Amino acid sequence: MMQCIFLLSDSGEVMLEKQLTGHRVDRSICAWFWEQSIAQGDSFKFMPVIASPTHYIFQVFREGITFLACTQVEMPPLMATEFLCRVADVLSDYLGGLNEDLIKDNFVIVYELLDEMIDNGFPLTTEPNILREMIAPPNIVSKMLSVVTGTSSNVSNTLPVATASCVPWRKMDPKNTSNEVYVDLVEEMDAIISRDGTLVKCEIYGEVQVNSHLSGLPDLTLSFANASILNDVRFHPCVRLRPWESQQILSFVPPDGQFKLMSYRVKKLKNIPIYVKPQLSSDSGMCRISVLVGIKNDPRKPIDSITVEFQLPPCVLSANLTPNHGTVNILASKVLMFFDHTCSWSIGRLPKDKAPSLSGTLVLAAGLERLPVFPTFQVGFRVMGIALSGLQMDKLDFKNLPSRPYKGFRGLTRAGEYQVRS
Amino acid sequence: MFTQFGATAESLSKASTMVFRIGTDAHLYDDPDDVNIAPLLDSKFDSEKCEALKRLLALIAQGFDVSNFFPQVVKNVASQSIEVKKLVYLYLLHYAEKRPNEALLSINYFQKDLGDTNPLVRAWALRTMAGIRLHVIAPLVLVAVSKCARDPSVYVRKCAANALPKVHDLRLEENTAAIEELVGFLLNDNSPGVIGAAAAAFASVCPTNLSLIGRNYRRLCETLPDVEEWGQIVLIGILLRYAIARHGLVKESIMLSSRDLENIASENGASDTYQKGNEDSNAYFGLKESNADLTNGVCKSEVVDIVSRSYLEGPDKYLSKHRCADVLSSELEGLHFTSAKDNEDIKILLLCTSPLLWSHNSAVVLAAAGVHWIMAPKEDIQKIVKPLLFLMRSSNSSKYVVLCNIQVFSKAVPSLFAPHFEDFFMSPSDSYQVKALKLEILSTIATESSISSIFQEFQDYVKDPDRKFAADTVAAIGLCAQQFPKVANTCLEGLLALASHESTYGDNAATDGEAIVLLQAIYSIKAIIGKDPSSNEKVIVHLIRSLESIRVPAARGMIIWMVGEYSDIGNVIPKVLPVVLKYLARCFTVEEVETKLQILNACGKVLLHSKEEELWAYRKVLSYMLDLARCDLNYDIRDRARFIKELLSCYIGSSDTEEGKAQQESRDVSRVLAGRIFGGQIKAPSSEQFSARFYLPGSLSHVVLHAAPGYEPLPRPCSLNFEDPSINSNIVEGAKRPGDGATQSESYTDDPDSVSGSLNEESTSDYSYADSIGGSDGTGGSNVSSSLSEVDVHKEPLIHLSEVGYPNANPDGGSHVDNQYSGSNNLGELISTRSLESWLDENPNSGHNLSEPSSIRKSSARISIGHIHGRVEPKICALLDPANGNGLSVDYAFSSELSSLSPLLVCLQVSFKNCSTEPMMNLQLVEDNKRQDSSDHASAMTESSSHGDVPSLVPMEEIANLGPSETINIMLQVRFRHHLLPLKLVLWCNGKTYPVKLRPDIGYFVRPLPMDIGVFSAKEAQLPGMFEYTRRCIFTDHIGELKKGDKPGTNDQFLVICECLAVKVLSNANFFLVSVDMPVSANLDDASGLRLRFSGELLSNSVPCLVTLVLEGTCFEPLNILVKVNCEETVFGLNLLNRIVNLLAEPARG
Repeated sequence: MMQCIFLLSDSGEVMLEKQLTGHRVDRSICAWFWEQSIAQGDSFKFMPVIASPTHYIFQVFREGITFLACTQVEMPPLMATEFLCRVADVLSDYLGGLNEDLIKDNFVIVYELLDEMIDNGFPLTTEPNILREMIAPPNIVSKMLSVVTGTSSNVSNTLPVATASCVPWRKMDPKNTSNEVYVDLVEEMDAIISRDGTLVKCEIYGEVQVNSHLSGLPDLTLSFANASILNDVRFHPCVRLRPWESQQILSFVPPDGQFKLMSYRVKKLKNIPIYVKPQLSSDSGMCRISVLVGIKNDPRKPIDSITVEFQLPPCVLSANLTPNHGTVNILASKVLMFFDHTCSWSIGRLPKDKAPSLSGTLVLAAGLERLPVFPTFQVGFRVMGIALSGLQMDKLDFKNLPSRPYKGFRGLTRAGEYQVRS
Repeated sequence: MFTQFGATAESLSKASTMVFRIGTDAHLYDDPDDVNIAPLLDSKFDSEKCEALKRLLALIAQGFDVSNFFPQVVKNVASQSIEVKKLVYLYLLHYAEKRPNEALLSINYFQKDLGDTNPLVRAWALRTMAGIRLHVIAPLVLVAVSKCARDPSVYVRKCAANALPKVHDLRLEENTAAIEELVGFLLNDNSPGVIGAAAAAFASVCPTNLSLIGRNYRRLCETLPDVEEWGQIVLIGILLRYAIARHGLVKESIMLSSRDLENIASENGASDTYQKGNEDSNAYFGLKESNADLTNGVCKSEVVDIVSRSYLEGPDKYLSKHRCADVLSSELEGLHFTSAKDNEDIKILLLCTSPLLWSHNSAVVLAAAGVHWIMAPKEDIQKIVKPLLFLMRSSNSSKYVVLCNIQVFSKAVPSLFAPHFEDFFMSPSDSYQVKALKLEILSTIATESSISSIFQEFQDYVKDPDRKFAADTVAAIGLCAQQFPKVANTCLEGLLALASHESTYGDNAATDGEAIVLLQAIYSIKAIIGKDPSSNEKVIVHLIRSLESIRVPAARGMIIWMVGEYSDIGNVIPKVLPVVLKYLARCFTVEEVETKLQILNACGKVLLHSKEEELWAYRKVLSYMLDLARCDLNYDIRDRARFIKELLSCYIGSSDTEEGKAQQESRDVSRVLAGRIFGGQIKAPSSEQFSARFYLPGSLSHVVLHAAPGYEPLPRPCSLNFEDPSINSNIVEGAKRPGDGATQSESYTDDPDSVSGSLNEESTSDYSYADSIGGSDGTGGSNVSSSLSEVDVHKEPLIHLSEVGYPNANPDGGSHVDNQYSGSNNLGELISTRSLESWLDENPNSGHNLSEPSSIRKSSARISIGHIHGRVEPKICALLDPANGNGLSVDYAFSSELSSLSPLLVCLQVSFKNCSTEPMMNLQLVEDNKRQDSSDHASAMTESSSHGDVPSLVPMEEIANLGPSETINIMLQVRFRHHLLPLKLVLWCNGKTYPVKLRPDIGYFVRPLPMDIGVFSAKEAQLPGMFEYTRRCIFTDHIGELKKGDKPGTNDQFLVICECLAVKVLSNANFFLVSVDMPVSANLDDASGLRLRFSGELLSNSVPCLVTLVLEGTCFEPLNILVKVNCEETVFGLNLLNRIVNLLAEPARG
């Protein structure tokens, strides 16, 4: 079981420590960790499990914050990793994001949350709905109240009823003025386009996100018109597994508010919405680069937020890039000791009259004739109103509801790991 | 202009962050100690206390030691504000171990909080109290935990389960048994939430005590999908271990695929060799199963064998054994096997874990996949593939762990993942470790059909900016080429192109990365050529030509090694050889050390292989180089030169032929020696990674590749044996009763007994006493029955006997505990046992077991159930015992009479007895807070009767005089405002006061409600769902009763059981016995289905309350009773249920 949890800022400062068991972990282990990650660089930074001289350390890195959990004994490593991810999710949900200041400003809430989420190194309450009832998230009203009156308690003094119910994810009998449920298909397209322009792999990772504001204890049934295209699925605990096994129907009692009902994967897709054609040719210490972007298979919905990003290889000294549409930024980010130059070209929507292109030259380090390595281009885009996997919802039925609620369906596809090699 | 704008923007954003930070605790974190904290802590305002505590927390967060505030903080634990409480708890837990003495100050408050009506307060108090981890309070914590384990709130029970490992951590030997019993009790809980926490407690407290699981195995399996996700992870592991220990490995599973199944099937295959059997079994599967893809010999049986043995024995033990002993150790031959097809236990485990593969918690998925990997039949194992692959998309951190596990799976059964090779293509967000794992998996699962696509990918990776990864890719290409000779040529071409490409950068050697890639490329080429040197002559020549451009010494060394090794192959090489040697000789002096060594070796080999005509030329080159080497600065090279010179003296040496015969002989010897040394076929180190360590899937040890402390391999198959064969049959035929302890063998039947027995005793907060009871428990039926018969005849002596027992049995709980602790460490003053006692002793009888008259009698004849009422005897409890009351003894018993004044009043029969020699005057019982004089009690009485509000106690007539050994009985009417808390009264006697406590018995808050069975069923049907509460318990009283069943008329076992139950219930609760249903069963011993129904209505509001007892088990075994209460009043119903369960589970005492 976990013995201690540390939260580190992006400069290696220990922001919080929470000892969980009688076997204390000294915070000097964080110093060790930080020294190692500076010495070993990236590869250490992304090691989820580290065997230090005294403890095993589990690491999750989120938006600049490093979450560390330590243990000395055998335990399922994914349990620690998954738990830290949950902590990160809950914190960013409570604080409206994650960064050093937010955590420091709300350290009391973080402590209180951690205390409810884990007991003796074993996760206790991780269901966000219940946590919200136990510890109120900070909001403008409570902040103002605390300024005016100087008193505010964010600790609830009653135990959420849901802890005892058989549907622990749902508040008991929430009263909603609105009576509505929205189902969104949010998809991310992962694709690999190889150097010669062929599509190596294209698949979609999708989530069914539900936003439900229903009163009472409603029972919902959602079915798909073409469930057979789903390759793998994972469910929120509220989904009953037997109906899915037998008829591929999602039957569930929804939590209140926004939640991820199901995630799925559709593999072996053939059509990608946009193409990106990079060309690099180099000689005598210079490299010409040109990138073309255009529509490949029109999804019949507008594609927007198109971006193309690539990392300049370390042997590039300077770059001079000009687009005929959109803007180009070269950002230098320092990940630990290494400088990374990322070139990001944001296009937005494709213009009607011309195909956007980016061209320019890269100056290579002295002594290099040609570019030895080639960057991978990461493409971002968003298509509103369509789920590119082709998954279609058939119908959504309700039981146990006094009146018919308003239903809404939406689709959204964006690029996930959409990479074009050059 | 822009700078100006920038400045504004900056100040704006600053301002906005300031606004954003207002109202948060930012200032507390930034300057926690800018005010004096101490006075704030003593403030009378909660808000100031809060601020002080937050400042302290901020200091803790920043790593300061603020334990010096401990005493002041502890004081605040009494605060009513829930936020202050929470903050104090956070502080306490951080420092309790450092300041044990001060921490003890808080115990009182925890005990008070444990009796709070708010379950959240109870839970927090328990968590903190257990979290303090002090040895001295461990017994108190244990009592608190056992109390909370029976709490009506699921959350509190869950916290109780979580508290067990904390107590266990203190390593107090004497508590181990009690903790394990509690674990077993909590595993039996109805709520899945509690079961999850109990499973975690089991895993950390007594992971090897699998018999605890055996009792509940099926029920645990069935509730598994409802258990909360974290509990699932642990529970899956426990169930797997149990299944292995109980039933052994599954013979259709991967684990046994390499074993000699013929042997197992028909024990005559002893003559078969291991290899033969192995082939047979593969063939067997290949023929029999349609899923040829999986079993067509693709599964690498050797790896599988190592994997399964490692799982069972732990890799370290296995490896050490493997080194010294035969692979097929006889130890494992004796294993028992089972089949997933007909073993219900295994079937249900697989069935209940398979939906978990869809869980959104990746740890759950991996744990479930682990079970299927080990237990599922081979053809079903396919099921884990997609969920595992899907896990990789969940988060970057879990990706690595999942890949570590897939790596082993794919090594053992490459065909599993072969169709999904695309999932292992790199994505840009992968870290280096992830990429390396993916590469390894890809080269493991590559097949003839997929290899070309994989190569396409590899070609792209070679150009990756991460050169270390590119080098790994090159190595992977080499591996694949060796596996698939078909593609070897393409590989070689690619690698050669790469090598020449890389070597063009060799000059400036811009990065180390390039050198690594080049080196790896040459190494891979070397490995591929090694498979078939003769057909790759051109490649060698190509490499030799590129020697000019390749500058990396290690790479040059390898090429030169090839020159030497393959000097006599093909037609071209011998032709170019002289030129090459001359080239090498020319640049010898400028080479690096390792290259020089290779040059010397290569020359030696060339000489050795050379034909007569070229010998002369080579000899010249070699001696030139040897001369150079002899003057080298490096002594290694000088050594090597000398060695080669001696060894090859016969070749180098002068060509004079007139040498001695002896010399001729030594020349022959050295010739042979040289041939051996240089020409010997070097066996490549075996590619099989027998030294690889395999740990259980999903374990930490598997990721870090060494056994982490606490890692346990799977238990020995079939190591868990049951004495009672009936269990076996029970399990095999798929018993309908889950979680049923009653049918277990004798060794287990003791358990539930002692659990309930000792726990009840513990609530008296007197441990020495508990022991003695435990002892009398164990002595079994005969003793009890003999004393019972006595009891029956002489009723008075029994009561007397129990009174004599008082000083032992029922001291003032406080004084006893005081004694116990003050002896060891002056805790007496610190621990007020009053508060502890007040919430612990909810059951009025639990502290007074010896005074309880046994209402159980031998039945004399066949009686109708209606007669039972005559034998019901209310239980007598002590209010004041003579030792404390100067010889005055006051007992009370709840009476079934109904109060005439108000329905809220409960009637009590109170008997005052003067045991002293002096007469007593002016005895009266009054309420604690009203210090009434005897004079105005009459007026008080009229007041109270005139008012609608009912007093706690209808004032009693004063007893003017009580002579020595005189007894006076009085009927008292009391209102208990709370179902569970005792009522504090004051007893006046001779002008002195004695505080006494009247403990309510929830069984008497009802009055009988006569009805027939039809009405009962109708009412029951009206109270379903949330008005129905059920629990199970074990009933043993009847065993003693049955054992003396030799008397005539008592041989109807069912009747005896019914009577026992009915009398026990009716003696403790004011119910009406509605009906008794006899079981319909062919088996005379089987009492299952026996059903008793009781009905009553609440005194206060006449809400009906129905109780049903359903029995399971056989007559002479402890019976498993399902108690069901239907009542609209939730709180009352639950309390009543707990009361009845405790009552039934508690054994009868003589």
